Amino acid sequence: MMKRILSLLFIWAFFVLTFSACAPKPLKKYEAFPKMYNERPLSILVLPPINETTAADAKEYYSTTIAEPLSLSGYYVYPIEVISDILKNEGIYDTETLVTTDPRRFKEYFGADGVMYIWIKKWNTAYYVVGGNVTVGVLCLLKSTTSGEPLWKYEGTIVQDTTAGGSGGGLIGLVVKVVATAVQTAATDYVPIAKRTNYMVLQTIPSGKYHPRFDKDRDDEVVIIKTTK
Amino acid sequence: MKKTGLLMLLLFIFLFGCATQKPLYYWGDYSSSLYKYKKVPNEENLKTHKVVLVNIIEESNKMNLKVPPGVYCEYGYLLLKDGKKEEAMYYFDLEEKNYPESRQFLERFKAKFIEKKGN
Repeated sequence: MMKRILSLLFIWAFFVLTFSACAPKPLKKYEAFPKMYNERPLSILVLPPINETTAADAKEYYSTTIAEPLSLSGYYVYPIEVISDILKNEGIYDTETLVTTDPRRFKEYFGADGVMYIWIKKWNTAYYVVGGNVTVGVLCLLKSTTSGEPLWKYEGTIVQDTTAGGSGGGLIGLVVKVVATAVQTAATDYVPIAKRTNYMVLQTIPSGKYHPRFDKDRDDEVVIIKTTK
Repeated sequence: MKKTGLLMLLLFIFLFGCATQKPLYYWGDYSSSLYKYKKVPNEENLKTHKVVLVNIIEESNKMNLKVPPGVYCEYGYLLLKDGKKEEAMYYFDLEEKNYPESRQFLERFKAKFIEKKGN
């Protein structure tokens, strides 16, 4: 009898441990990013992204998609195109050189409350025999220009399936499908996928002052997931 | 009969109850026209992007929304590149009026790109 209870207990413990370990732990926004609620930054200077992929044009293209979602989260976003030209005018073409710059300098120079660094981690197209996909992955880090401390950080990847829909069975159907997939994958614009990635990543940022939920989203849960399809 | 009225009322609440939250900004085709211009930076694509910026300003005003952050400034910057200094200043001032936090940045920008060139 005792043995039976013990073994049941063991099985129960086994399951509890297994499942609680797997489930992503939801945190409240103020637990995950407490400094955002203390400092309440309003204006954010987005630096040109740092491209860690082999796609040479990823940086230019990605930078066209970030102002919209960040402003909709309630922040003042400095005009990215203008900033990028000012930096070039100062002889700064690569943000890499700015990563080690003291964030407080951006307060002195532009009056920004926060500075956003973005690394493009993935930006690629893949095809295989009967399918294909486009992947965009980014890591965003917001630092305070008052304390120099990180305020918010999140990483996200979107994999968009570009496999063409079914077109009949048989060998001919397969060939047609392969051709259609190749065409669709090549023509897929990165912009909508980059936008989706941004929206996913920015869901976790506490709302800024221009957002109706500013300071009311402390108890909202954020789940630290990294990839969605 | 009474039942239908109630049902209609419920339907009404259902349909309009959730539609009250206005979007914060109208961004139009901003990223797609900018993307096209960056991909093929010719006159035509630049013109399209300018039209998109003007459209964002006009639509936002129609919808009674604030023009999104940076849009006045970006449009002013493009005008400045065309040598339209007066018009550019007008848009920079609108940016500052809408978003006072942009002041320090705009001051520095004007000092660098306008006064220095002295025309």
